Amino acid sequence: MVLKDVLSEEKKAAFMLGNEAIVRGALEADVKVVAFYPGAPTSEVLDTFADALGNFDYQMEIATNEKVALEICAGAAFAGVRSLTAMKSVGTNVASDTLFVLGYTGVKGGLVIVMADDPHAHSSQSEQDGRFFGPNAYIPMLEPSSPQEAKDMVKKAFEISERHRVPVIIRTVTRVNHQSSIVQLDEMNRSEFKKVKWKELNEEYTTLGEVARRKKLKMLERTVKLAEEFDQSEFNFTKKADSDVGIITSSVSYLHVLEALRMLNLKVNVLKLGTTYPLPQNTIKNFIKDLKKVVVVEELSPYLEKELCAIAKDANPDLEIFGKKTGDFSEAREYNPNVVARGVASALGLEYGGEAIVEEAKKFKEAIPARYPTFCAGCPHRGTFVALNQALKIQESKGQQHYFSNDIGCYSMWIYPPISRGDSSLCMGASVGVANGISHVIEERVVAVVGDSTFFHAAMPALVNAVHNGNKFTMLVLDNSVTAMTGQQFNPSTEFTAGGRQGKKISIEGFCRAIGVEFVEIVDSYDVKNNVEVFRKALEYDGLAVVICRRECALYGDRNKRRRGEKIVPFYVDKDMCKRPYVCLRTFYCPAYELDEDRQPRISPELCDGCSVCSRLCPIHSVKRTEVKA
Amino acid sequence: MSLNIFICGVGGQGLVLLTTVIGNACAKSGVKVVTGEMYGLSQRSGAVSVHLRIGDDAFSPLIPYGEADVLLSLEAIETLRYLEYLKKDGVVLMNKRIMHPPIETSKLVADKESKYVALDDIVAKLKGWTQNIAVVDALKLAKESGNVRTENTVFLGCLSALEAFKVDEKDIRESISEAVPKKTVEQNLKAFDLGKQNAHGSLCTLVPCRALP
Repeated sequence: MVLKDVLSEEKKAAFMLGNEAIVRGALEADVKVVAFYPGAPTSEVLDTFADALGNFDYQMEIATNEKVALEICAGAAFAGVRSLTAMKSVGTNVASDTLFVLGYTGVKGGLVIVMADDPHAHSSQSEQDGRFFGPNAYIPMLEPSSPQEAKDMVKKAFEISERHRVPVIIRTVTRVNHQSSIVQLDEMNRSEFKKVKWKELNEEYTTLGEVARRKKLKMLERTVKLAEEFDQSEFNFTKKADSDVGIITSSVSYLHVLEALRMLNLKVNVLKLGTTYPLPQNTIKNFIKDLKKVVVVEELSPYLEKELCAIAKDANPDLEIFGKKTGDFSEAREYNPNVVARGVASALGLEYGGEAIVEEAKKFKEAIPARYPTFCAGCPHRGTFVALNQALKIQESKGQQHYFSNDIGCYSMWIYPPISRGDSSLCMGASVGVANGISHVIEERVVAVVGDSTFFHAAMPALVNAVHNGNKFTMLVLDNSVTAMTGQQFNPSTEFTAGGRQGKKISIEGFCRAIGVEFVEIVDSYDVKNNVEVFRKALEYDGLAVVICRRECALYGDRNKRRRGEKIVPFYVDKDMCKRPYVCLRTFYCPAYELDEDRQPRISPELCDGCSVCSRLCPIHSVKRTEVKA
Repeated sequence: MSLNIFICGVGGQGLVLLTTVIGNACAKSGVKVVTGEMYGLSQRSGAVSVHLRIGDDAFSPLIPYGEADVLLSLEAIETLRYLEYLKKDGVVLMNKRIMHPPIETSKLVADKESKYVALDDIVAKLKGWTQNIAVVDALKLAKESGNVRTENTVFLGCLSALEAFKVDEKDIRESISEAVPKKTVEQNLKAFDLGKQNAHGSLCTLVPCRALP
C-alpha cells in the first residue's frame, strides 16, 4: 500500500486496493468516526485508517467486536456525525442485533457499513450471503464491482444515509475488497472535528412496543421512497445490444460477465445493478419488457433471480429466466470468467470448451505437494502445540481421552495436515460455548482453545457461564498480543490501540481470576519442556482450568525487533552432531526446516526466525544459534 | 491486447508489494491495470497468488484459464500449481528456489524412499506445456543486491525486459522508491537492475525483449 495516494490532495489517478478506495471515499466524504473489528477481506480498511491517523481529524477505535464497532458508529451518527465501519460477512452476524434496530431508530449523521461476503470461504468459516440483511433489516444496500465504484458508492452512501436517515450497507465480496485498479481521486473536503450539544439536536433513538410499531410503518414508507430513488440511480446501468437476450448481474460478477462475453464473442444486453436493496423495480421492468431470455449472474444465493421471477410475472410473463433454478449456475463457490462463460453458454445453448485446459493441467500437478496454510516460522502456537500434544499423550497413556474444541484465529490451522487436530471449530468464541455443553455429555476431557482477540471478542460470556455453572474443562488462551491472522492489529491484550496510540492493557488472567476461575496458569509458549507438566495438570484438574500461553506473534515480534534495530539470528543444525532422530521434524513442522542431501535436517537461514524452540526440543542438542560477530 | 501475468509464490515473499509497485507504475504511465489478489489466511508459508492484468480489454480481476501470457513464480513448486492459467507456449518466469512445505518434509521423514520434488522434475513437466521457460536464481541475485528479501524486485527487473510489458522503466523505478522501506531503496533498485540484466541473458533468448539502453 502506498499511503501517499490515500492522503493525496491532488486530483489524480491512483492504483488502489478496493479496501483503500473505500477509505479514500470515506475521507473525501468527511467521515469523522470509524470503528472496526478486523476480519478478512476487510482488514485493510482498518489498517489504512490506522496508518492515516494523524493526517486527518477523525476518531478511530479498534473495537472488541463488530457489534461494539457498529454501536460506536451508531452513537456518532445519532449525534449527526458521519461514521463508517467495515466487517467481514460473519462479523455482520455478531453486529446484526444492533443492525436490525438501527433500521427502526434511524440515524442523523451518515452511517455506512461495509459488509464483505467471502464466496469460496477463502478466509471464512462459511460462504454466507449477507445480502439478506438488507431486506431483513430494511436497510438500503449498494454493491460495487470495482475499487472505483466502491469509492463512489461510499461517498453516495453517506448522502443517502443522511437524506433518508438510515444506515447504508456497502456489500462487497472478497474479489472487490482484494481487487486493485486505477481510481480517480477527488477533492478532500474535510471539516474540523467539533463536539455538538446533544440537547440542542432534539433527537431520540428509542424503539420498543408501540414505538417500534410506529417506526416500522415509517420504515416501510422509507423503503418505497428509496426504491423510487434507486430507479434513478447512476449505479444501475444498461449496456445495450441488438439482441433479445439480456444478462442481469451485480458486484464483481459484472466484470466476469464482460470478460465472458468477450470470450464467447457474444453481444447481449447487460443490466448491471448497483442498488440491490431496495431493487429498482422499474429499471428491471424496462430492461426485461422486450426480451425473450434473461440470464441472472450472481454469486451465492439466487437473490436477484427470485426477485426477477416475481417482477417478470407481471412485466413479461413469457420471459425465460436462466440462473440457479435452471442449473446453469451454482450457489457454491466463487465465480470467475470461465464459470460465467460456462453458465451463460449453457443457458443459451452455446458451445463452450474453455475449461478443458484445467483438466489437461491436472496431470502436470500430480507430483507437487499441497501447501496448506501453516504457522509462520517462530510462531508461538507451534511451541504450544508441541507441549500440548505431549501432555495429551501422557494423559492418553493414563486412559484419559480428549475432545478438541477449536476456534477462529491462526490456531484454526491446527485442523490442517500434518497436524490435523480438532473435533469442532465453528465461529468466534464458540470453542468455549461448545465446551460448556459437550462437557456435560461426553466422557472425554474437553480442551477449548481461543486466542487473545477472540477471548475479548466473544469468549468471555461463555467463560463466565462456565464458572457460574461449575462446568469442567480445560481452556487455553493463546495470547500473542495482537489479532495476528488479519495482519497483527492491536487488541485489548496490548497497551496500544489504533495507530499505535496508548491504550489500556486488559489482563486476561486478571479477568479469569476476578470471575472466579480457580486454576489459572501463565506459561511462555516457547518453554515447551516445562509447559508439558502445566498442561497435564490442567487436563487432570477436576474443574475449569485456564492456561494462558503467552508469547508475541512472530511477525509482530519481528517488526518490533526491526524497529529496535535488533537482528534476527537464525539457528543451524550441526551436521557433525545430528544423528537424525528427527524430533525437530516429527514434532515441530516448522516451514524453515527441510532435509539436505544427506537427509539431515537443514534450517533455511532466510526463513528461520531464531525462536529457539527447535533447539530446545533436540535431544542431542545439535541445533545451535548462529554465532554473531560483535 | 492486454498483458496477463499470473504471479504466485509463498506467503512472505512480497507478492503484494510487487503488485503494488507494478500497479503504481501503471498509474504513473497512464496504463489501465486490474488485479485480483489472494491472501488472507496465514501470513507466511502458505500459497499466495495474484492475477495481474495490464491493458484496456481486461475487465475481470481474474485471468481466464489459458490466457496468462506470463506465469511468474517466486517459488518453483508453485509454478505447476497454477499451470491452467498459462497460455500454451506462454512464458514461465520462475525462481530456482524451492521451499518445501512441512507436509512434504514429513513424508520424507516417514518414508526413507520418498524424495523431494526437484527443480529438474518441475522444468521437465513444464516443457510439456511451453518451451519458454526462464529459471532465475533470484535468491542469489537478491543477496548480491545486499538484501536477501528483494527476490520480488529481481523478478520485476526480469519482467521489465519484456517487450510486451509496456510500463515505463522510469515509472517503475520511481514506484519502487516510493513503495519499499526507505532504507532498502538502493538495494531494491540494484535488485531490479540485476533482474533486468539476468533477463537479457536468459528470458530474452526466448521471447522478444526491449533493447538494453
